Amino acid sequence: MTWAVMAFGLCWYTIINQMDTKEIIRIEQLTKRFRDGEGEFTALHKIGLSFGRGEFAGLLGPSGSGKTTLLNIVGSLDKPTEGRVTVLGKDIARLTHKESAMLRNRHIGFIFQVYNLLPVYTVFENVEFALLLQNFSAGERRKKVMEALEWVGLAHMPNKRPDKLSGGEGQRVAIARAMVKRPEILIADEPTANLDARNAHAIVRMMKQLNKELETTFLFSTHDEKVMGYLERIIRLEDGKMVSDEWVNVKTKKT
Amino acid sequence: MKLAFQLAYRNLIGAGLRTWLNAGILSFSFIVILFFDGLIDGWNKQGIRDSIDWEYGQGQLLHADYDPYDPFTIDDGHGKIPESERAASVPVLVRQVSVYPEGRMLSVKLSGIEAEQKLLKLPTGQLQKSEAEIPAVIGKRMAKVAQLKVGDRVLMRWRDKNGVFDAQEVTIAGVFSSNVPTVDQGQFWIPIRKLWQMTGLHEEVSYLIQKEPKAVSISGWNYKSQNELLKPFRELIKVERIGNSILFTLLLGIALLTLFDTQVLSIFRRQKEIGTYIALGMTRWQVVGLFTAEGAMYSLFAILLGSLYGIPFLFYMTKAGFGIPEANLQMGITIAERIYPVYGFSLIFGTVLLVVISATVVSFLPARKIARLDPVLAIKGKVL
Ligand SMILES: Nc1ncnc2c1ncn2[C@@H]1O[C@H](COP(=O)(O)OP(=O)(O)O)[C@@H](O)[C@H]1O
Ligand SMILES: [Mg+2]
Repeated sequence: MTWAVMAFGLCWYTIINQMDTKEIIRIEQLTKRFRDGEGEFTALHKIGLSFGRGEFAGLLGPSGSGKTTLLNIVGSLDKPTEGRVTVLGKDIARLTHKESAMLRNRHIGFIFQVYNLLPVYTVFENVEFALLLQNFSAGERRKKVMEALEWVGLAHMPNKRPDKLSGGEGQRVAIARAMVKRPEILIADEPTANLDARNAHAIVRMMKQLNKELETTFLFSTHDEKVMGYLERIIRLEDGKMVSDEWVNVKTKKT
Repeated sequence: MKLAFQLAYRNLIGAGLRTWLNAGILSFSFIVILFFDGLIDGWNKQGIRDSIDWEYGQGQLLHADYDPYDPFTIDDGHGKIPESERAASVPVLVRQVSVYPEGRMLSVKLSGIEAEQKLLKLPTGQLQKSEAEIPAVIGKRMAKVAQLKVGDRVLMRWRDKNGVFDAQEVTIAGVFSSNVPTVDQGQFWIPIRKLWQMTGLHEEVSYLIQKEPKAVSISGWNYKSQNELLKPFRELIKVERIGNSILFTLLLGIALLTLFDTQVLSIFRRQKEIGTYIALGMTRWQVVGLFTAEGAMYSLFAILLGSLYGIPFLFYMTKAGFGIPEANLQMGITIAERIYPVYGFSLIFGTVLLVVISATVVSFLPARKIARLDPVLAIKGKVL
């Protein structure tokens, strides 16, 4: 009897401990090479990084420094050449197409520089899309979509088509689409590059709020000064190499 | 699967005009195939019915030396009516004669038939009613060639059983309209009793037409069942069908090529969208499925659209019939001036299936490429 209780307790302890694990992305010795004509081109060189739950972090670096490549690998759209990338405990290199699709669908939201909204769908349908891949009922979907549209302040135009939206609105729809499934990780590749200052500030502030409310880990790439001011952690890349990793705008370092 | 169709539906509806253009082209071939196939079915049905009603009855018993397709067998191809068959059949004796309408000479086949018969639609009743010495009924094609009409008299010259020439005027007692050219073209019909008198070939016939189907075997005579008699016509229909399928293949081929093109272009133009689907968590094969479903759905829309304008058209045609050009009527083929198309369930179902399956395959072929797409490049729109 005592043994059973102890074993049970140990199980719970392990599970709770697992859930409590702060680290959700671990990057070890990541190298990515692309075939480049005859030879090879090294886009990322021996990157080592770790991200915890709820971080608001950004990759900074000039164009071509490897930001997008890194984000794509974390998002399981691409695979490492060498090294290991673990996202939510899953080794990216070992995932099948189906598993990585599942990972993206359930746990990772994407926001792109160009919003990549589905042109023939309404605002509502664009946001709903992510949920269609999961088994939510129409009622649940409606509730979740409208909630996500509230977050980004677009609940009043669910039936608009993407081509009728302004740039700022388009990107907000993209955020709602990425966030509606409440992913653990949100990947935003230069989300403000196509926006004017006012919209850029508004968007990043919105994301920061979602970051705080939903505990989503945000991973940016940017070279936008306006975004930098909101970041809590800045990782600088140059020619595929990490040159710095510092905590900013926060009183205490988390790691 | 359900999702793919849901999305495909949204995408196609969202694409608007482009969708309906594609569906329009596909629907056109769908309707044309249905129509022409229905036309052949109608022709087949009508042709068989007409052949039976006007010529074949329930089967024929032909004198062994008589071949309806060879005029040289007419002279000798006759014999006494087999006693056992007398009551069960309509007797016909065929002779080769000349007629002289307005001084021209025409060589025609003279068929003597029992004037009391009710088996064939040939209006032999008009022979009975006529008070002329030698009454004759002819088909309208014959009437046109000889420029004869009801009441006209025309000189006829024939040989009796000893080969001696004789001549007398024949009166046209009736002109009939039949879709079966073999009872019309180059042919006069008179009462068989009269012909027996004229030729001295009493009780002799070239062939007998059965009132009830019955296989008989009598030496000196060849039995042909209704089915055997219809065989050449069925062969003809078969050849027509092959001709039609070539037309259909071309037509459907063009429509499918358009669809194929649309798909290739659509995959090229929608790379970013494809990348986005994958980023949002669709597997590549789900995306392939989506694009294939879009193609398949084109065919469903085509069928929908086709039904919209096709059903009234096809239905109207079954009532109004399809006029066959004059030229085709002269060719000695059993074909009505108007064919009323018949659309059977298997025809409609088969055509729907053909269109849907071929459209699906044609959409799948280019969509397959998506499975090998690098999503990273697709999102950037840089793949192809
Ligand atoms: N699929 C690819 N094939 C070949 N080279 C690539 C590919 N993707 C990226 N690169 C190269 O890798 C380098 C890093 O690209 P990227 O990660 O997009 O940089 P950033 O996002 O920082 O501008 C660039 O020089 C780019 O040309
Ligand atoms: Mg980039």
